[in-house]
Amino acid sequence: MKRFPNDKCSLNVSYARVRSRRCMFSALLVLFLLYPSNLPAQQTKASEYEIKATYLYNFGRFVQWSASAVAVKGDSFPICVFGQDPFGSILDSTLSGESIGGKTVVAKRVSKPQEALDCRILYISASEDSRLKEILTGLDKAGVLTVSDIPQFSQRGGMIQFVLVGNKIRFEVNLTSAQDAGLTLSSDLLKVAVAVRKSPQPGD
Amino acid sequence: MLVSGAALLLACASFIAYDLVSFRQATIYNLSIQAQIAGSNAVSALLFDDQSSAEKTLSALQVSPNIISAGILALDGKPFAAYSRDNSGRTPELPRLATGQSETYRFSGGTVVLVRSIVFQGKSTGTIYIQSGLEALYSRLRLYAGISAIVLAVSLLVALLISPIFQREIAGPIVQLAEIAQLVSRDKNYSVRAAPADSCDEVSVLVGAFNGMLSQIQERERALQKAHDELEQRVQERTTELDNTNKELEAFSYSVSHDLRAPLRAIDGFSQALLEDYSEKLDSSGQDHLQRVRLAAQRMSSLIDDLLNLSRVTRSEMRREKLDLSAVVRSIAEELQRGTPSRKVTFVIADGLKVEGDSRLLRVAIENLLGNAWKYTSSHDSARIEFGLHQPNGRPAYFIRDDGAGFDPLYSNRLFGAFQRLHSMAEFPGTGIGLATVQRIIRRHGGDIWAEGAVEKGATFYFTL
Repeated sequence: MKRFPNDKCSLNVSYARVRSRRCMFSALLVLFLLYPSNLPAQQTKASEYEIKATYLYNFGRFVQWSASAVAVKGDSFPICVFGQDPFGSILDSTLSGESIGGKTVVAKRVSKPQEALDCRILYISASEDSRLKEILTGLDKAGVLTVSDIPQFSQRGGMIQFVLVGNKIRFEVNLTSAQDAGLTLSSDLLKVAVAVRKSPQPGD
Repeated sequence: MLVSGAALLLACASFIAYDLVSFRQATIYNLSIQAQIAGSNAVSALLFDDQSSAEKTLSALQVSPNIISAGILALDGKPFAAYSRDNSGRTPELPRLATGQSETYRFSGGTVVLVRSIVFQGKSTGTIYIQSGLEALYSRLRLYAGISAIVLAVSLLVALLISPIFQREIAGPIVQLAEIAQLVSRDKNYSVRAAPADSCDEVSVLVGAFNGMLSQIQERERALQKAHDELEQRVQERTTELDNTNKELEAFSYSVSHDLRAPLRAIDGFSQALLEDYSEKLDSSGQDHLQRVRLAAQRMSSLIDDLLNLSRVTRSEMRREKLDLSAVVRSIAEELQRGTPSRKVTFVIADGLKVEGDSRLLRVAIENLLGNAWKYTSSHDSARIEFGLHQPNGRPAYFIRDDGAGFDPLYSNRLFGAFQRLHSMAEFPGTGIGLATVQRIIRRHGGDIWAEGAVEKGATFYFTL
């Protein structure tokens, strides 16, 4: 993960390809970040992956699966990690006892796209950067919400990409990818996203 | 006036109070809805730590002019986002939510603060509060108070204007009627009448009926008086008749006594003379005959005396006075004892029995009763004569009891008849008038007399006064 120093000017402009509206929005974010000025660069209250694990769970509460997308799913709500697992036990402890829509949330680790087909949410580890296209193709129309830290993930067809804005973990959303997979993302989720893409940028 | 004013005031006050209460409740309800909406809109901001989104949500509350400030707290209670109308950034003091409670509010210092917990998909996510001013409430209160005051003033004014009319038409005649009623019952003057009302309403009917009643009462009074007078007259007539009769009787008995006694005296006298002067010429049988003649004449004389006594008793005037009956009994007992000191008689006399009656007549009655008791115990060696008060239940009765010869209860109905005797002359002397006399005396006192007894077991005479 790239970290940026707590410098108000260079932060957002270089990191994300933002439109003017989002620039102002981000600037506001920065101002707010200045308030608790004695906050260190790292978030000490919870570690990065604790927050991301919680976010993975919370994403699930704002997504609706279409009928065709749900058809391939089972009775549980699997949240899976593809590739090298940066969470470890944090994911299991965060997800233990939780449920979404009446379905028990379970943590899973997978290494092949076929194994990920019945996942509801799939976190693709940075280790899979080179195989990304292949993985995404394998998951095409499978109704899996793809989340990752991989750079330009949303441009490359991923649905939610974690970004770091100042000290806070934020995310970008690729709405088209989600819609193509039969997923409806709630507007409540979209309004807290740093950026919402409507059409896939030409990937690499 | 005071009463109606107070009632009106009370009614106004209750309406205002009710309205204010329901307005308050409506305010709270409104705030609650706004909190719920804002809260649900801020859920994702809370979950994904996006303060600016939360503040944006809160700032939408500025369209509500009464909302002073609002804020969102995270699950740990720390402030997450805030809004204040005047941008002062002041947070009000928040009431605490009890466990399990999702919403609470507090009115203080001209504002109300509502606190509500934000729940998303069944999980508690944070807390939202909204503080609203109460100007709307207060201005409403002022408005209502103003309206009430005006309504009250107008009503009282109107009442004041109408009241004299009311008084004249209705209250006036009724008060007058009440006064006349009081006057009539106090002075018993039934000739007064209420002034007839000239209107054709219930009041005039009342007055007419009242006057009618008075006329009826007056008529009755007159009739009563007339009957009373007639009765008086009749009584007067009867009394005169009675007086006349009494006078005749008096004359009669006087002449009887006088005229009857004379021959008796002659009989007795001459018999005595015969006995004394011609004793040597008469044998014992002859003397005996003469003695018998004398005795008979004497007896007749005493009979006449007793009869005269009896009639006098019934005719004489009665004077009621307070009298110590025990004292009378005691004095008569002493007299009897003095007359025959040799006799052993125990008198048991109850003390302090006071009655109201004619002292002369009562004395005669006691004399007769005690005399009887004395006489009929003479055949016994010792005797016991009692006088006292017997009060089994209710009416008290005085009694004189002796343990002498007594009488057969079968003949008790003859006891009080004139000249009735239950014993022969040989056993006990007497004319048989005594008890009749006593009965007359007791009856004249409005009382009753009766006797109980058994042969050789004594007799008890009870009487009431």
